[in-house]
Amino acid sequence: MNCQEFQETLPQIVLESGGNAEEEAHLRSCPACAILVRDLRYIADQAKLLLPMHDPSPRVWSNIERSLRSEGLIREGRMSLMGHITSTPLMTFPSQSKSWTPLGWAITLAAVIVSAVMLVNYPSVSPVSQGTLPGPAVSSFEGADEQLVAQQPTAVRSAYEDSLKKVNTYIAEAKRAVDEDPSDQAAQQHLMGAYDQKAMLYEMGTVRSLQ
Amino acid sequence: MNLPCKAAAVSALVVLGATFALAADTHKQTFNIAPSGTMNVINSAGSVVLRPATGRQASVSYTAFSDKVEADCSSTPDGRRVEVRTHALAGQKPTPEESRVDYEIAVPAGVSVNISTSTASITIENLSGDFSLSSDTGQITVNGVSNSFVHVHSLTAPVTLNNLSGVHAEIMSTSGAVQMTSVTGPKVNVSTTGGDISYTGNFSGGGTYSLITHNGAISVSLPETSSVDLSARSISGSVENDFPLRDKSHTTFIPTPGRSFAGTSHTGASWVELQSFSGRIRVKKQ
Repeated sequence: MNCQEFQETLPQIVLESGGNAEEEAHLRSCPACAILVRDLRYIADQAKLLLPMHDPSPRVWSNIERSLRSEGLIREGRMSLMGHITSTPLMTFPSQSKSWTPLGWAITLAAVIVSAVMLVNYPSVSPVSQGTLPGPAVSSFEGADEQLVAQQPTAVRSAYEDSLKKVNTYIAEAKRAVDEDPSDQAAQQHLMGAYDQKAMLYEMGTVRSLQ
Repeated sequence: MNLPCKAAAVSALVVLGATFALAADTHKQTFNIAPSGTMNVINSAGSVVLRPATGRQASVSYTAFSDKVEADCSSTPDGRRVEVRTHALAGQKPTPEESRVDYEIAVPAGVSVNISTSTASITIENLSGDFSLSSDTGQITVNGVSNSFVHVHSLTAPVTLNNLSGVHAEIMSTSGAVQMTSVTGPKVNVSTTGGDISYTGNFSGGGTYSLITHNGAISVSLPETSSVDLSARSISGSVENDFPLRDKSHTTFIPTPGRSFAGTSHTGASWVELQSFSGRIRVKKQ
């Protein structure tokens, strides 16, 4: 199993109990995918903690719905203001998670969308293909980033935009350093730290927009 | 002063007083809060100041600067949770200035406090407990806190920590500078993307201290009496040291002049790790 095949099964691995034996074997042998899964699980876990006491504004729902459509995760129908998807989604959810609220699902979906955008810019790196250096791993500003910025109050919008650009640069530079020397623990630590920073921005931005 | 002048002066005072009364509306509420209770504070703009309470009651004083916002303060019957929340009134769209609410909050020791702001500053003085502080751009200041958990998230908000002892501190900031003076405890982790990190103190207590940045500068100033096992490493930034250290026989990396070093002083009681990607690291003796 290569990285691309592995990453196609990511939602199952991240949101459900885990992968099959082949996927688990790839996870153990590929540091890049292991880091990615770790970060996605972190984002998903953080999203679960964001269950608020009040429903967010309709604008949040419409933004999530728009993102789901643009990512092709839902086809027709609409998402109601209470977060219920009235059409059949392409993704199916595990039955054991019935206790989640609709909002919890929506936030997790938003986190998955963010992750999907990160994946687009996340080159498949296997331990045997280290000969060439890839370009920047993450562009300076992504679609999901723009959406997060748009959801913020005007007073702090530029702060979010600047911060996301800086963190994306950090991720790109750390990723490049890891690609240059996969055994460099300091570079790996920076890469994990950079993703933590990005997770923090999304956590803060999401909470703020719900407030 | 003749009569018309007196009348004008009195009128002006009345108008000023009325304006002030409308502009700054101050209230105070008190709540019974359980010893291990939680207080959640959400305030977009203005300020939040947290101080110790004398008894077991928490008090919340707040000043709103427009009638377009209001502060909701409530607690559960068992006193385990107190909610303090600023929100715009229905149909109102306050400007950032009109959204301002200044809070003065007093809580007993040991209470868990979560404060979330957008542009409002956060200040905590002389308390112990579990503090989770998050601000986009508002200054975050923590003074005189002991034996506590301190978690800080900031976008561009500067973070200042003074005289903290026995703390577990987790500080994450994207662009805000993190300035620490006499901060000690079992675990102190600071990470920034572009924000500078400065530490002045002796890293006492046999703790683990980790200061990590992407391209911010790390500046550490410590007295010669400090007992540390210190390593500093930058991938592409410069690393300078004028603090006397003994070389270590074993390190997890090969020290490179100008890029990294590692060493111990005295018994090496506390473990100190300084890491930057491209920012400058400087360690100096006080």
